[in-house]
Amino acid sequence: MERPEDRVALIEWLDRDGRVQRSVDVAAWPLSLGRALSNTVVLDDPHVAAHHARVEPDETGQLQLQALPSRNGLKLGGRPVIGTTALTTADHGEGNRADHGTSALLQLGATHLRLRLAGSTAETLAPEKPLPATTAATLRAPLLAGLGVLLLALASQWVTLDPGADYASWLPTVVGVPLALAAWCGLWALLSKLFQHRFDFSGHLRIALPWLLGLSLLDALWPFFTAALALPGLWKIGSLLENGLLVLLVHAHLRHTLPQHGRAVTAVVAVLAVTGVALTTALTWRNHDSLVAAPYMSTLPMPALRLGGTAPSTELVQDMAPLAAVLAERVAQARKDDEDGQGEGDD
Amino acid sequence: MRTLLKTQDSQSSVGSGFLVDAAGHLITNYHVISQFALQPSRHRLVYATVDGRQGALQLLAFDVVHDLALLKPVDPAPLAGRGFVTLRPVAETLPRGARIFSLGNPLDVGFAVAEGNYNGPVERSFLETLFFGGSLSAGMSGGPALDDQGRLVGVNVAARRDGEQVSFLVPAAPVRTLMERGRSAVPITTPAWAEITRQLMGHEAELTQRFIAQPWRNAGHPRYAIPVPQEVFLRCWGRGSPQAVRGLQFERSDCEMDSRIFVNNVLRAGYLTVRHEAYDGSKLGPLRFAERYSSSFRNEFMGRDDRQRTAPRCVERQVSSGPPGTAANGQAGPLPLKAVICLRAYKKLEGLHDLAVLVATLDGTQQGVQGRLDAYGISAASAQKLAQHYLDGFAWNAPKTASR
Repeated sequence: MERPEDRVALIEWLDRDGRVQRSVDVAAWPLSLGRALSNTVVLDDPHVAAHHARVEPDETGQLQLQALPSRNGLKLGGRPVIGTTALTTADHGEGNRADHGTSALLQLGATHLRLRLAGSTAETLAPEKPLPATTAATLRAPLLAGLGVLLLALASQWVTLDPGADYASWLPTVVGVPLALAAWCGLWALLSKLFQHRFDFSGHLRIALPWLLGLSLLDALWPFFTAALALPGLWKIGSLLENGLLVLLVHAHLRHTLPQHGRAVTAVVAVLAVTGVALTTALTWRNHDSLVAAPYMSTLPMPALRLGGTAPSTELVQDMAPLAAVLAERVAQARKDDEDGQGEGDD
Repeated sequence: MRTLLKTQDSQSSVGSGFLVDAAGHLITNYHVISQFALQPSRHRLVYATVDGRQGALQLLAFDVVHDLALLKPVDPAPLAGRGFVTLRPVAETLPRGARIFSLGNPLDVGFAVAEGNYNGPVERSFLETLFFGGSLSAGMSGGPALDDQGRLVGVNVAARRDGEQVSFLVPAAPVRTLMERGRSAVPITTPAWAEITRQLMGHEAELTQRFIAQPWRNAGHPRYAIPVPQEVFLRCWGRGSPQAVRGLQFERSDCEMDSRIFVNNVLRAGYLTVRHEAYDGSKLGPLRFAERYSSSFRNEFMGRDDRQRTAPRCVERQVSSGPPGTAANGQAGPLPLKAVICLRAYKKLEGLHDLAVLVATLDGTQQGVQGRLDAYGISAASAQKLAQHYLDGFAWNAPKTASR
């Protein structure tokens, strides 16, 4: 527009992701919208009526939105409009409204429009957002986490190798860990590209590294400490904790990929995690008659860190005494299941 | 001697059998007729004579421990007047190398006489078994092995497939006992699980009592006393890692019983195994040793829920065993151990269990011993006795002068 001061409003066409595809200035009221050429703004949408909607100020100057007869109707901020209604620009829809000052979201047929009204002042317009900074300080934490992950991977590889092992045996860790990490973040970046139109590799890397560090630390230290303290119960939930961290990692990636659907993502991840835990527990229960697959704590404490005391072996044999009764119950249960299932038990 | 599926006339197992008296009683192996004994409603037993006569059979009694069964034809007429096998008197010992003849129906091909030698009882066997230096094939099970006068020396039962002409016979004594016990018994028509359990219980009680009565042998480890069974009815094999390896060095010993009792196609019971591995990680350092030592402890299978047995239930603890150490080995207290005891129950043989005792020494930064005792088909009381007996076998290996 040659004279911006004449602009009374701006109409923006939004795509499915809420991005502006094109915009048109509105120079004067009334504003009419529809497929017919006689409208102020002509919409190229077969789901829109010839004359679909109209915006004009009433006697007090308040803008009124009028829904003209149409099959698919008109929505303001997601709510259907019948007849005439005041063009409210208050909180409708979700997200960062103030970024666009005083604006209203309209839906006509399949067309999504944002109507931005002139007169937006600095107060109604949100302050300018800073660009994501890539200073040394913001890079330090992910770098340290990455270093930690690699060091832990190398340490666990060192422990499994015999002294004087071939250098080639280090390759799986030295090459494999960075490659796997790159592939993981690359995959998430592709998803970001799909949903947000940006290949956000570094963003996902920044998310993955601290979680991976936590996972590696848990994996390396949890069995070690629970064994030192002689606490088999805690030792057995180690894998559950690791899986929990994995779920949280995936959750963080998903939130980063779909920021506008935060709550939905959390709900879906929570439902999937709960379903997964329930399914695996049911399978473990069927095969092992126990909530965890490991029948005993298999990590042995190192002599210097053996904090749990010892008992006379007779106490362990006494612990064992009630097992036979518990097992007899299981046998009775199995027999009952067998009889219920089929008339005659197989051998 | 055939076990047929009731609904279709196809055979599900084939073996041999022989007449033992004029009344038409027959002897065969328990394992030949086990399907009938366990599921009489789904199977039936028939005989087919060498000259092609057939008839139905009834199961009178069995001895699951010695793998014998006593049967009787429903209609004795076709088998009457055919003579029978007499038992060789116990007093007449047979010299080693004597020629004996094993009769049967190998692989259901046809009646055969296999010649071989009598080699006396099998050594280190809990149940008396005779060593037959001849070939036995599947299908000959339950057939008689006769001396040159046609008297019964033993009943064909099994053969080793990893050797040549190493076969086994059940001696005549349990045959005689079974005949006396079962001759006038009522035919078995319901699943025989309870009777099998009763017989296995008797066997396991004797096995446990005899095993616990034996003192442990010392494995000769410089630091630890490790329980290794006497080789009275177990056979031990030892093996070590090559000296040149850079990693973990170990020596292991596996002791197993030859006598395992056949219950059904997938279940053997009434036996023990004892094994241990002594690790030396002096070439590895403490961290690497700890990783391998734990991995080895993890690498022990305890079984899962299946048709025969429940999933294992385990208890675990750090325990101490043996008298306190001496200044010589630098240890004040008794030997610290991590011990796991797991028990599984048999679903059909009520009151019988599988026991696994897993033990690891905890004092060494670069050396240790892990041992495991398994007992199959034992009572809960025996399981406790065996577990305690095994745990008591671990101690410091104190020098003789310091022993108390």
